Amino acid sequence: MKYRAVFALTSAVALSACGLNSVPTAEENAKARWADVQNNYQRRADLIPNLVATVKAAGAQEKDILVRVTQARAAASQVKVSADDLTDPAKVAAYERAQAGVTLNLQRLQEAYPELKSQGNYTTLMSQLEGTENRITIARKDYNDAVQAYNTRIRTFPDAIGAKVFYGSKPMTPFQATTPGAETAPTVNFGNSN
Amino acid sequence: MIALPILLAGCGAAAPAGTVAPAGYDFPALSGRVVDAAGLLREGDRAAIAGRLAMLEQATGHQFVVVSVTGLGGHTIEDYGVTLGRTWKIGRKDINDGVMLIVAPRERKVRIEVGHGLEKALRDEEARAIIDSAILPAFRAGDYPRGIRAGVDGVIREIGSSERLAA
Repeated sequence: MKYRAVFALTSAVALSACGLNSVPTAEENAKARWADVQNNYQRRADLIPNLVATVKAAGAQEKDILVRVTQARAAASQVKVSADDLTDPAKVAAYERAQAGVTLNLQRLQEAYPELKSQGNYTTLMSQLEGTENRITIARKDYNDAVQAYNTRIRTFPDAIGAKVFYGSKPMTPFQATTPGAETAPTVNFGNSN
Repeated sequence: MIALPILLAGCGAAAPAGTVAPAGYDFPALSGRVVDAAGLLREGDRAAIAGRLAMLEQATGHQFVVVSVTGLGGHTIEDYGVTLGRTWKIGRKDINDGVMLIVAPRERKVRIEVGHGLEKALRDEEARAIIDSAILPAFRAGDYPRGIRAGVDGVIREIGSSERLAA
């Protein structure tokens, strides 16, 4: 055990110039990217009440779709994942499921009212929604890249030594491409981009 | 202490991403403010647009690049656009104020890619309106130069004045 402590100390000296700090740096980076993910999902959630009101004002017939969108939004807002929870795959999966529920219902809403396309306010909201979905896609990808960099770092020599001895680092959870609905973010496209 | 050089040898492995396109993306070379890889513009258009883009950068600092590509390589234009912008590093790094107008005639797609720092000056709905009302009518009529010029005008109108600088 004494040998290990000495070795750790040597490693610390050896790594201080390049490696040891890179573990918390990579961890902070992944957490910051997670904050981006949450901000963009929040941005989407903020658009929904306005969207629902606009569709209602336009005389929506299929009111149950609006109710489901609102419910999915409310359910998703209950699922909070702090940066420290990112090592827990179950929590990340629950978050993703909740957001996928919103995604799905937004898709249904969009499909239910093709005739609203040309309404100014609806078009504005939909372009904002489309932009937000793009930002979510980017934020998710950046988060996954940051998590992958961090997870690789804590498992790879030489940083793995510092990660284990000094930080007790645990791998973080990336988004799964296979989660139902995760890959089908509503491409809110009215065929007017081509 | 023999371990020391070995330990250090592992450092520096995480090289920062350079200006090389990531695997799976085929990007044209960043040859100027107008990169017309698909050959949609005449030489005169190219020079005139490049001049306007240079003036914009001089006045506001925002970098605006017009790109036409021969193909998106199977990527969505959203994905292609953001990856291209990051690879080319359009815009000032600290405020992320780059803009690109990307035209992919083969896929019949057009996109205005806006850096985070300009999102308040050029909003999603404004970009959408520029595409719908200025660019697409000309493209549908087969007039790419007119559509691109109109798109450039529309973007500059949003981001060109000093009172609408990046928030």
